[in-house]
Amino acid sequence: MLNLHELEQRWIRYKIKSYLPYIAIILSISIILLSIFIFLQESTATVNKNTILEKLTIPEVKAIVSVTPKKPLVKKKTVVPATSNKELTKISKRERSLHNSTNKLTLSPSLGFMKKMQTDQQPYYKTENSNESNDIQVEVPVVTVTHKDIQNLQHQELKVVKKITITHKNTHNDIAEIISRFKKNNNPALSLFVAKKYYELGDYRQAYNYALITNQINRDIDVSWIIFTKSLVKLGKKEKAMKILKQYINQSHSNQAQILLDEIISGKFK
Amino acid sequence: MSSIFVNSKDVFLDIVNAKDYVQLDRVSSIYQSLKDSIKKPLKMILLYGKPGTGKSMFLNKIHTDLSPTQSIYLYKTPILDESEFYKVLAQDIFATRYNGELNFTQFMKIVEKKEFKETPVVLLDEAQLYSEVLMEKIRLLSDTRTVKFVITLHKTEKEDIIAKEHFQTRIWETIELENASSSELKIYIQKKLMKANCFDSANMFTNKSVNRIHNITNGNYRDTNKLLYTLFDLYALYEKSSRLSNIRTDHVPNKLIEMAAIHTGLINA
Repeated sequence: MLNLHELEQRWIRYKIKSYLPYIAIILSISIILLSIFIFLQESTATVNKNTILEKLTIPEVKAIVSVTPKKPLVKKKTVVPATSNKELTKISKRERSLHNSTNKLTLSPSLGFMKKMQTDQQPYYKTENSNESNDIQVEVPVVTVTHKDIQNLQHQELKVVKKITITHKNTHNDIAEIISRFKKNNNPALSLFVAKKYYELGDYRQAYNYALITNQINRDIDVSWIIFTKSLVKLGKKEKAMKILKQYINQSHSNQAQILLDEIISGKFK
Repeated sequence: MSSIFVNSKDVFLDIVNAKDYVQLDRVSSIYQSLKDSIKKPLKMILLYGKPGTGKSMFLNKIHTDLSPTQSIYLYKTPILDESEFYKVLAQDIFATRYNGELNFTQFMKIVEKKEFKETPVVLLDEAQLYSEVLMEKIRLLSDTRTVKFVITLHKTEKEDIIAKEHFQTRIWETIELENASSSELKIYIQKKLMKANCFDSANMFTNKSVNRIHNITNGNYRDTNKLLYTLFDLYALYEKSSRLSNIRTDHVPNKLIEMAAIHTGLINA
């Protein structure tokens, strides 16, 4: 005997069952299409990022090269004899610190190594001259003074000045070693380390160069971009640095970069 | 008073009756060729096809049509006992009643004694149920040309009946029956209904509904009969429960066809 109600229920179940494969196919196709769409969007974003980076970095390298002063950063050490009656032995004189160093002692690194780096086209591919690193041992210094100070030194009876020997050997040896390791494996972490070190040492040009190299290897390291733009600011290219930061923030939404940008704009970071 | 649905339902009762035979173009040509083959001096004619393709109906039809003019005997169900088989043939064809066991040798003696002006035709339905031994005896009997056999067999995938040894060498005519195409099925359904004066029901079968039926039954006549019987049963039930307004009656909706198919087991729901 036919049971209409039961048969209708069975028919509904059958219809649902018969539509299941279609639903599954439609869902699968939707998921595949969605995945392709997301993948394409990500690829487009990467391509855009690369394009921006190319725009940003390539001309900048040239700019930096042109900015590089003809004279090496590391200036000759001038030993200023102390007044005869005083035991001032040697005074190292640095051109770049002349303007602000009255009675102030400025410690600066031995940049013999960097001299070599600057003359090279691709400093990170060159081997370090071992003699240079030996020269890094600076005996000095000691005191950075202006011409005026030198004159004053003769007039005022400058007492003393003990002979201070600061050895930078370790730091520079470290950098040299890391650079040589970097040359072997091209690891961006190493180039970033070198950039940081140079930045800490105040060699913003080299810091800039190594940050740039790091960015070329891996464009997603926040710190590298920050060192890069900080170095630019330090090199007097504030506008350029801001422009790069803005573009980088657009791409990465980096908070650190935003904070730095705010600081540059507000003048907090000079 | 019975409704048109009840009348239509009865049209599709699964019974083999020569009166219900529906003339379709392809079927008619096959039927004609079978009739022609019977007239030829053949030893055996094999009629084969899948179950529900109309083999039994064919034998019935040919028996009904030829029996007034020719000596023709139809055995719808197989006689599996060998002695019984010979005894039935001896009595029907040779008018020899035999008591006790009748073996092949004794039966052949009866056959040799009798001579006919026209070779009698024996129609054996469901011959796949006969044993190999009995089939071999039937072959030997047909070799005497005293009796002509028309046998029907199910065509199965497991064994190719045509390849069977006793058919390979002796069958001179093989006729295969196939399932109906969609258009043939429509004609079949409508002709059947119109024969029973169910014109309104016949008009309910549009191409779309017949295609759905064909999808479900693959054009198999037996399955179609089964499906349509249940379909009209459903209509009758809807009518009885005053829910006929809930369903379409201008054409057969797929829902009802599928419900009928679920009930008959043609759709596994």
